[in-house]
Amino acid sequence: MLLQAKGIVKRFGGVSALDGVDLNVPQGIIQAVIGPNGSGKTTLINSLSGTYVPDEGSIQLNGAELVGARPHKIAQQGLARTFQNIRLFGTLSVLDNVKVAAQRHTPVTLLDVMLKTGAHKLAERETEERARAALDLVGLGTRALDRANALPYAQQRLLEIARAIAAEPLMLLLDEPAAGMTMTEALALLEIIQNLRKRIGITVLLVEHNVRLVMGISDRIAVLDFGRKIAEGTPSEIQKDPAVIAAYLGRRRAHA
Amino acid sequence: MKTKALILGLCACGIAIIPSLLGEGYLIQVLNLAILNAIVVLGLNFVTGFTGQINFGQAAFFGLGAYATGIATLAGAPWLAALFLSGLVAAIASLALGVPTLRLRSYYLAMTTIGFGEIVRLVLIHWEEVTGGTSGLRAIPPISAFGFRVESQMASYYVLVFALALAILFALRIRNSSFGRAMIATRDSEVAAELSGVNTIRVKVLALMIGAIYAGLAGCFFASTIHYISPDSFTNRQAVLLLTMLIIGGTGSIWGAVAGAIGLTMLPEAFRFLDQWYLVLYGSAVIAVISFAPGGLASAIPNVVTRLKAAR
Amino acid sequence: MGQLVINGLALGSIYAIVALGLLLIFNTVQIVNFAQGQLLMLGAFLGITGAVTHELPIGFAWIVTLVAMMALGLVFMAIVYFPLRGKPPFLIILTTVAMGIVLENLALIIWGPLPVSLPSPLTGRPLRFSGVVLSMHQIVIFSTTAFILLAQWLFLTRTRFGIMMQATSQDLQTARLVGIRVNRTIAVAFALGSALAGLGGLLVAPIFLAEPTMGGILGLKAFVVSVIGGFGSLPGAVIAGLSLGLIETFGARYISSDYRDAYAFVIMIIVLCVWPRGLFGEKSSERV
Repeated sequence: MLLQAKGIVKRFGGVSALDGVDLNVPQGIIQAVIGPNGSGKTTLINSLSGTYVPDEGSIQLNGAELVGARPHKIAQQGLARTFQNIRLFGTLSVLDNVKVAAQRHTPVTLLDVMLKTGAHKLAERETEERARAALDLVGLGTRALDRANALPYAQQRLLEIARAIAAEPLMLLLDEPAAGMTMTEALALLEIIQNLRKRIGITVLLVEHNVRLVMGISDRIAVLDFGRKIAEGTPSEIQKDPAVIAAYLGRRRAHA
Repeated sequence: MKTKALILGLCACGIAIIPSLLGEGYLIQVLNLAILNAIVVLGLNFVTGFTGQINFGQAAFFGLGAYATGIATLAGAPWLAALFLSGLVAAIASLALGVPTLRLRSYYLAMTTIGFGEIVRLVLIHWEEVTGGTSGLRAIPPISAFGFRVESQMASYYVLVFALALAILFALRIRNSSFGRAMIATRDSEVAAELSGVNTIRVKVLALMIGAIYAGLAGCFFASTIHYISPDSFTNRQAVLLLTMLIIGGTGSIWGAVAGAIGLTMLPEAFRFLDQWYLVLYGSAVIAVISFAPGGLASAIPNVVTRLKAAR
Repeated sequence: MGQLVINGLALGSIYAIVALGLLLIFNTVQIVNFAQGQLLMLGAFLGITGAVTHELPIGFAWIVTLVAMMALGLVFMAIVYFPLRGKPPFLIILTTVAMGIVLENLALIIWGPLPVSLPSPLTGRPLRFSGVVLSMHQIVIFSTTAFILLAQWLFLTRTRFGIMMQATSQDLQTARLVGIRVNRTIAVAFALGSALAGLGGLLVAPIFLAEPTMGGILGLKAFVVSVIGGFGSLPGAVIAGLSLGLIETFGARYISSDYRDAYAFVIMIIVLCVWPRGLFGEKSSERV
């Protein structure tokens, strides 16, 4: 198992947003986590990436414990993520956004930078190569020198994905990547995600509100409701699961 | 490429002949002060401009550097040793302030550095045996290294221009390196920077420290070119003026920081008739710039240029 | 010893009042107002203009000052807060700093640099109990502080408006959704925050004299008090304010009076190192 999360509990005030969730993700698959609004999806992804510290439970990535580590350590362990509400480095160029994540593979000292030594130039070249490769994977190669906050919305989402994969993580967490996209844009996004797995063999954990979107591309789906995992299986199993239909689809109809 | 070299060459010539136009005297001293302020504001730009943390301690770091050099060279230490000491003292002070506060929310650094500025002022005034109290230190020896002694204001000017050029060069290199990107990323989104593998606390402390070293080294040059220092030059009021220079010049812009510092050091000389009103205008200008052109003049000028070009 | 305690508590009460004004604004809009000390200075000078220059009865001068300070708080909000909503916090903080510079130098132009004295509303012979002297002005300070604490507590817990203010501080968006008139709440916070600063000025001027540059250091003490008390906590600020008053008074007597103004910052740095969230715990409201 690449990711093993056991018994994660996260409380806010008296309310348990996550109430003992287990999640095991093997290497190389696309795992989806779905659930209605308020089911704990975002809390789960924030706990995995270290934005929240879970109150109980353990999270292991490739055997290393993540609970209690600062987020940058977790990122260095090989976890990268995107955000539901986009968080780019707005004033940096598109390329520089991606370089920020890519540069940890080629550390240099301040002295190298100030004296512009060969080590610094080499590091910059490698960082740039990594960053360009990541941009090409999501199809943003031509926008490299634009300011990040000048990109249209859908491309900002793609840039977040490029930034995440530029860190060359073991696992990519996508937090509602299709939120706010049109159907065409969302379909293009799915293709990019599938491509990513094909080309760089990355493991993806996809948190989505839109069930239809994940059915097509996920290998496995876990369903959360009220902070608990109520089902897990292949897309076809999930579609037939009575608990899921009752909790998830039932409530969705009630909303509509 | 050719035009760029030509412009640089013309600038260099212009900078080289300024002193002979001004002559030895008061104006060249003001110009020297402006160059020193530019180095200090460039330092401030790392932590406030790039990293988005408010630092009111820059004048105090400047003062620590100046007093370190003043005390050391009056005691007979070689100038180069004093220069090193000035940078070191400022760096240590910045670590002592930054490490406990930069893991907290942004206003803690602001408050702590104001407090630090006040403590430095009180110590400079009351530790008379060492600092000379309110009357300060006089007859500080001039810059002397590698067999040269820089006695006149005119000669100091060339040394200071060289120091500023180095300060700009290093700032540009840091800006375009992994360090600069990490700083700006931390300012734009601390959460995303951290999750991209950037140790944001370390980046903030580093930015503060680089800035403090700039200020400390500039303090050394200040003491050994003006030859007289007193607590008045390093108060919190001065710290606020330094921030003002950065904001009006353009937070996050290296050339804006230099232009802001030089412009706002020279301008009060031209506007002496305004008397106390000039600080009122300063403050109002800051509010106006933040509200209408948060990027400062550095962003306003290119905007105007593009608009003019578009109009043609 | 007893005398030092009285003097320290009187000084600390003033710190507490100014800190309460600071927190009233901070708790509503999450902005630290770095011009709070300059507002205090204005309060002192408005009082002096009323009571000394125009020879108004002192009580009336107080009322005029407090009303004027409320109006000033609204002007302050219109310049500093509204144009900048949604901008990065460090820009808003810098604007309040710039506002402080403007106010301080306007005061220098209007009132000149020399210190001026303001009479206390209560005059008379000081009270003496077994060697401890309690001046009439100290009685004014203690009773005003007690009144403010009680009034603020009643306002925030017993009035509809106060409860709405508390809700606004917790979540601006949600408050707006549930129909709280957020802008009015914010306006009240700025008006009252400014009035509390002005009250601090009226109380401090009879002890230390008023001068245009007095604001900087007093405003800072209010921050220190807020930080030590755990930023956002009202009882924390009061206890921290009283403690700081005592520490400064005793420190000035037994350690060194030259460094009187430094104790506050040394303590703050120590507190931040040991208890980063203040002694009473900061209400953390970081959102992702």
